Amino acid sequence: MALPLPPGLTPSEVAFLCEMELVTVIPRQRLESLQLLGGTTPALIPPYRNNIPLWLALLLKKQRRANISPPPWLTQNSLQAILDFENEHSSTFSPPPRLPPTSSSTSSISPISPPFLPSSTVDAPADALPYHWLELAEILLEAAPDDFEDADLVRRLCRDLRETRMSKLRAGVDVLEAGGGVQMNGVGGMEVAEGRSFITGVIDGLRKISASKEQARRERESDERENGYPGTQEEDEDML
Amino acid sequence: MDIDDILADLDRESTPQENLDLQSLTRSWVAERVAPELIPYPEELMERVLERIARQIEVIEEQTGSMDPKTNFKLIVIQTELERFKFLVRSFLRARIAKIDAHPLHYTNVSATTTITPSLLSLFEHQYLTAHQSLLSTHYRTSFLSQFPTQLQRLDDTTGGISMIDKPDGDAAVFVRVLRDCGVVAVEGTDVRCEMNKGDVFVVRWSAVRGRVLGGDVELI
Repeated sequence: MALPLPPGLTPSEVAFLCEMELVTVIPRQRLESLQLLGGTTPALIPPYRNNIPLWLALLLKKQRRANISPPPWLTQNSLQAILDFENEHSSTFSPPPRLPPTSSSTSSISPISPPFLPSSTVDAPADALPYHWLELAEILLEAAPDDFEDADLVRRLCRDLRETRMSKLRAGVDVLEAGGGVQMNGVGGMEVAEGRSFITGVIDGLRKISASKEQARRERESDERENGYPGTQEEDEDML
Repeated sequence: MDIDDILADLDRESTPQENLDLQSLTRSWVAERVAPELIPYPEELMERVLERIARQIEVIEEQTGSMDPKTNFKLIVIQTELERFKFLVRSFLRARIAKIDAHPLHYTNVSATTTITPSLLSLFEHQYLTAHQSLLSTHYRTSFLSQFPTQLQRLDDTTGGISMIDKPDGDAAVFVRVLRDCGVVAVEGTDVRCEMNKGDVFVVRWSAVRGRVLGGDVELI
């Protein structure tokens, strides 16, 4: 019964996560508010649009009970602008949407993060790709192509974006080193899933090669700390 | 703390417990699927989720009799969601069992020597670990270990400077997202220093961020 999968999410698990994203639907039939395990769904009354999780939207769409409004970033103009940005900046991804302000650090409630951010509803920012952009675009283009103005064009732009970003991910292998610590802001969920085994494999491999050097350095540093060298104390606290 | 933070606080406090639980369960599942070692068992969360699942199944059983097409569709939605939840719980527990199976002696030692709360293993996981391990060692002993010289029969020998007990690779690289500003995080033994600000994504050693992941400042992705 143990899960026979290596660490890291599989593409279908990433798609499962993506189906928790909120999307905006325009219902065609009434549906009362339902008490679900993950919270109550809003009552759907045509023609008022409402935000519901993607899995529910797909179910309604399949039975022609609702139409899905694509998020503003999944349109020709936005995708073209993001693609231009990706092409201009050869070493970074386009910036992700801003995380909402976090509650103060003393609060016990942990901050909200994708896939629970409303980053794919009609009110989402149009100029940033959210974490699950690729999966969401694929799913929507597959299940609801008739809700797009020009599905083929959007599909082509998504493919261009994906290729541009994948080549950046591959080029980024040069900066990998034994300690890790590589910053990858704006990377997408599916891109992480695809690159994970390779990237972590390279980092872990490099670490094993330089393990003895690192061990020596660790011993030297702890010696220095015991002898009371100033300035090393702070680093120690960070490592806790 | 500015006005945005105060508003966010109010907003979060008004979120129903069901939504919060779904979010934390999802986060725990991803963390368990990605992290190289076991993460403490979220006892209270799992209790609430399992109880809700049991109640939802009862609701479905009660309503299945009705032939009204409207109720029928509602039931489909409820059942679909139930299956999603069951998948989450199952995959989460199975990922944990896989880790327990991979390093049983290590987790026996850890759960015996530490008394931190929340505990690493749930009650059932602990039972499973002990029962499974005793079955295994009995089997090994009867089938071949008993024919070895006595000093070579142990499965958890730590003499001679080399421990027989396999440990999970605590230094494995993981992908993380920063949820709250953490300042500079250093990776021990190297020159790597990361300034972790909210919203950043890093590839970093698990050992360097472990404490922050457990504290909720950083999440695994």
